[in-house]
Amino acid sequence: MTLDFSTIPEVWPALMKGAGVTIQLTLAVLILATPGGLLVAFLRLAPQPWLRALVLALSWVFRGIPPLLLLFFAFFGLPIMGLTLQPLPAAILAMTTYMSFYFGEIFASGLRSVPPGQAQAAAALGIPAHRTLMRIILPQTIPAALPPYISHATEILKGTALAAAVAVPELSNAAKKIFVVTYRPLEVLIVAAAIYALLDGVLLLLQMFGERWSNRRRAGR
Amino acid sequence: MDYALIAPYLPDLLSGFWITVQLSVITLVLATPIATAIALGRDLGPRPLARALAVLVNAVRLLPALIVLYFVFYGGPQLGLRMKPMTAATIGLVAMGAAYMSEDIRGGFSALDRGQFAACRALGLPFGHALRRVLLPQALPLIVPPYMTRAIIMVKGTSLASMVSVADLTAEATRASSITYQPYVFVLLAGVLYLALSGVLVAFQAWVERHLRLRYRLAR
Repeated sequence: MTLDFSTIPEVWPALMKGAGVTIQLTLAVLILATPGGLLVAFLRLAPQPWLRALVLALSWVFRGIPPLLLLFFAFFGLPIMGLTLQPLPAAILAMTTYMSFYFGEIFASGLRSVPPGQAQAAAALGIPAHRTLMRIILPQTIPAALPPYISHATEILKGTALAAAVAVPELSNAAKKIFVVTYRPLEVLIVAAAIYALLDGVLLLLQMFGERWSNRRRAGR
Repeated sequence: MDYALIAPYLPDLLSGFWITVQLSVITLVLATPIATAIALGRDLGPRPLARALAVLVNAVRLLPALIVLYFVFYGGPQLGLRMKPMTAATIGLVAMGAAYMSEDIRGGFSALDRGQFAACRALGLPFGHALRRVLLPQALPLIVPPYMTRAIIMVKGTSLASMVSVADLTAEATRASSITYQPYVFVLLAGVLYLALSGVLVAFQAWVERHLRLRYRLAR
């Protein structure tokens, strides 16, 4: 059998449209789940034991249930509770929720890696709490948290394919819609795979630059 | 929760759960030796083999699992490989799982001093013997935690099989939902069953870690 890529130019716009939705979804989840993850991390380290236990339990539930099931819940389950969402917002909501808990674990271990004496020293020097956080604690968590952060960002990118199950017109959905018409799945899937690999590559480049930037920053001070 | 609502769909849900269990066990049983072979091939094999395996593993790791499953299920027939959904899903999930798992296993081996491999060879220890008596006892305690995390991810990943028409737990739960218009009952029920499965794996991990500590007399 031979691969025949002659139909690809014809379906290229549809694939690009799908890739556009994939990028939108990835960015939206990345932008929303990052502060969500920080919130989870702070709650995981909160002084109240009941709050810590609650967040730990939620974290276990949201990281233990298959993402696909959570997507179905957001899309089919929430309307019963009076919240009907379009496919894309439903996917963003579901993915942001579970990614916040994954990010929360990363950030919590990053925060734990900063010795508690530093916050105490900053308090003793009369530095306001928010400035201690922004200027002293968080910058030091970056080197520890950046590699797992980016690898989870690629998980978000790859996870967006699941949104096809709730009818979000992203890249895998677009690919499937094409090959059920052309009857040549391999060619379309190879092109879609190449697009995913390219987007992964962009994230890995970001990680390289990010690591170099944070190393330079540390060396400079 | 309304039992009368669930009752008619209980047999389907249970058969879906059984398929999910089967799929999980089969993928784990097949992926583990393949992943170990890949890890050993990349660390100890001849350079061309190591290179080829590295390319293959990273190619699979770059792709969404769904695309890999589509490749097997929809792309296979184009190559003349027509198979049942369950077979296709198993092949796709094993390929994905083995690629990621080989990295976890390599991580454990990389903590060992390279000199130990050379020392074993210099002492004339047969390879299998060196692996079993020298290398694995040191690497296993390091491999178990990421391995079990991966196993849990793979169990959750079996839910993707529903996208290539395998009647697993996710598929049965969504089917019951769309018939009854009562989604959150069935989705919650399925969620609880998945949590139970990963709970079993977590308990197994605790048991294995304790067993390893006693067997190899590790500190802590």
